[in-house]
Amino acid sequence: MIQALFIALSAFGLLMALGTVFARNLVNAALFLVAFFFVIACQFVLLEAEFMAAIQVLIYIGAVTVILMFGIMLTRNIQGDETTTVTRPWRLLGLGAFGTVCTVLVLGINAYQPWTDLSVRPEFPVTKDSTTARGQAILSMTPTVGREMMTRYVVAFELAGLLLTAALVGAVVLAQHDSTDVVNARADKPGSDPAVTGS
Amino acid sequence: MSQQIPLTWFLYFAAASFSIGLMGVLMRRNAIGVLMAIEIMLNAANVNFVAFWRYGPTPASEGPISGVMMALFVVTVAAAEVAVGVGLILLCYRRWRAADVDELDTLSG
Amino acid sequence: MAAGFSLQDFILFSPVILLTGWGLLTLILDLTVLSRLSDTDRNRALGLWTIAGLVSSVVLCQFLAFEYVGNVSGQDTLIFFDTLNGGVLYTQFAALVLLFAILVTCLSMVWNFTSHWGEYYALLTWSAVSMIVLIASEDLITLFLSLETMTICLYLLTAMEKSKKRSAEAGLKYFVYGSVSSALFLFGLSLVYGQTGSTGIDMIGQILSGAERPGLSGNVAGGVAVLMIMVGFGFKVSAVPFHQWAPDAYEGAPAPVAAWLASGSKLASLVAMVKVMGGALGTWSATTSPTSPGWVGLLALISAATMTYGNFAALGQTNLKRLLAYSSIAHAGYMLVGVIAVGISTRREEAAAALFFYLVIYGLTTIAGFALASWLDRDRGTEDVDDLNGLGRRHPYVGVAVCVLMLSMIGIPPTAGFFGKLYMFMEALNVGGQDKVTMIGLVALGLFNSVVSAFYYVRILKAIFLRESDRKPLQNMGPEVSLPLAVGAGLALFFGFQPASLLEDMEVVSRSGLRFAERPIASEERGVVRTILPARTENPEAAPAAEAPKP
Repeated sequence: MIQALFIALSAFGLLMALGTVFARNLVNAALFLVAFFFVIACQFVLLEAEFMAAIQVLIYIGAVTVILMFGIMLTRNIQGDETTTVTRPWRLLGLGAFGTVCTVLVLGINAYQPWTDLSVRPEFPVTKDSTTARGQAILSMTPTVGREMMTRYVVAFELAGLLLTAALVGAVVLAQHDSTDVVNARADKPGSDPAVTGS
Repeated sequence: MSQQIPLTWFLYFAAASFSIGLMGVLMRRNAIGVLMAIEIMLNAANVNFVAFWRYGPTPASEGPISGVMMALFVVTVAAAEVAVGVGLILLCYRRWRAADVDELDTLSG
Repeated sequence: MAAGFSLQDFILFSPVILLTGWGLLTLILDLTVLSRLSDTDRNRALGLWTIAGLVSSVVLCQFLAFEYVGNVSGQDTLIFFDTLNGGVLYTQFAALVLLFAILVTCLSMVWNFTSHWGEYYALLTWSAVSMIVLIASEDLITLFLSLETMTICLYLLTAMEKSKKRSAEAGLKYFVYGSVSSALFLFGLSLVYGQTGSTGIDMIGQILSGAERPGLSGNVAGGVAVLMIMVGFGFKVSAVPFHQWAPDAYEGAPAPVAAWLASGSKLASLVAMVKVMGGALGTWSATTSPTSPGWVGLLALISAATMTYGNFAALGQTNLKRLLAYSSIAHAGYMLVGVIAVGISTRREEAAAALFFYLVIYGLTTIAGFALASWLDRDRGTEDVDDLNGLGRRHPYVGVAVCVLMLSMIGIPPTAGFFGKLYMFMEALNVGGQDKVTMIGLVALGLFNSVVSAFYYVRILKAIFLRESDRKPLQNMGPEVSLPLAVGAGLALFFGFQPASLLEDMEVVSRSGLRFAERPIASEERGVVRTILPARTENPEAAPAAEAPKP
């Protein structure tokens, strides 16, 4: 039962990922991406990481996709028929990379015995007298995440704050209109940036 | 209790979606399309992390939820990356009136 | 040491905390007190303010090094639940990164390439912070996060010159390549996590070397993981085939940012690479049998391709920044030889020290090279090599300084670049076992490439000394250009005469700061008892400093 659910879910997720990659219309691609993110959230639920599933829905579907949508709308590339397709060699390279990476990864997963042995999800019993840390973490993930963030990963947590601040500050600077901005009409002089042939 | 899902199934799913993301990176010309494909790849890695955390062994010195923490921080990174990426794409769009990676032509070599 | 954290961890980490706050204050200052000033004045004021912050952080760092770290001998202490190094490695490299940052800040004050000075200096400070954390990190979570913080700050800095089209383009290209490679890197990390269940670098090394079948034989997933992690690091250090972003980003970015990309980011990523490849994945390094290849062979290929491609592509360049970009690709190739030596040598601490020596000298000389580019950028707006024509006649001191720099980059005595190459290649030749032939080939290729590199470095000297200028002469350079130039050339010369002082320092760093995983024992080395814990060499006398000729 749960296996069938997983297979259906994964197949749907992979279809959505393919849709994201191949959709000609970028808005459609973004909608496919939302569905893909939702499938990932479902996977997290199947892995008993409900907190992660919530985060996935909140941040990826709630924030990331919205920013992407803004990007699409502001660059007005909605219809974008000819702009989203590539030339034949790139298409072949993409398909080749997909085939190779996927095959090698699947072979690698199959060849690594400790992974193939784990066909059953290990149980971490939580009883009144003996609570393993892992079992406790699965049972009540949110407090555990909070505790870990304030102890073991305190530097990483602060760094994440710094990262978001830096990204915010920088993205505002970049997206802002400046008086010195080069707009399309007054582009750089053709000779000012000599295109140098290297390679 | 019904049959459980083996670890490898999650890994197969992650591997497949990762490869699809990689293919998208190579086949998209539009920078926002590339950004979406990158998000697919990051998500695939996150599935890996959480699956390994749930199924795999954990050494004693390790925190109880290291895989989940990694995935959580990756989500942060992805959000910041998208913000910066869209900012850069807008910047370029205002200069070239296009958001395509291969229409940027001032630098070559 | 018991896992946990105390007040002392925060004290040890105070230089980083100070700098983070300093960056925020820079933003606030820019928006309040300085908002009415002109761009030039704001640049000057905020630049000096940033230098003040960086200098005080260096002072704090050195104070801590004496107060807390100096009396601890042997292994570095780990802080914050063993996720960060709080010892010599951290204090020394933090001081180095900050020194690079000070020089880059000087260069940023040369001319007005943006009007967002508050944001520019804040991002510069924060990227320095994340480089320090990256170097200090002992845990993959912290490592990945600091790597990403560093690169995101760098993408933004690259695109900061909003009056030029090429800056935005460089930023976007850097971003696209960078985020794809970090996604690959992350997937590689996830596979390593899956095989060990741990994110601690040292722990991963111990678990992998304690496995029943150490080495990569039959472990395709491990091989893929190594490959993907190598793509991630290869991108950060701009190794061929992941180098395409580098020439564009260096040419398009404002010259100070390019200098920062070439020095600070490369230093931090290479130290992290040594930690991950030598520490966590050290077990998988060597070729122990034909059926069990290690990552050494792959990295040797990358290294050979990188140095050859970088040097030959640099030959045809006419833009100084682009030339320096290709030269930095070539140097990355040499440095990867050092990384390989760290992976498989029996003298890993010494090999790492030689690599760090090279890195420091390379960083200093490259910043000085970009100082020249900033000068051209300010007065000409372009940075062709031809713009340097006749410089030596008008500014003889600059001519001498550039001469020292170029000799150091080629690797000609008595400059430090020579000793950097000497130490690193000597360590590479010290390698035994099945990979000896590979190493000899790599060193030979490295020497050949040094000769090739002489052609384009000498072209710069020829322009400076032999050619007449037909263009309007450059204005006086001012202290902002001359300081980095003088520091770069001066230190290249100083460490050329006193190489042992820096090398010994780097040996202390690598001896106490790096934790290497036990390698599987090659067939001819068998007989030595293998332990789970990494064995440490305890003879500091065997340092290659003895080989250094003292004048």
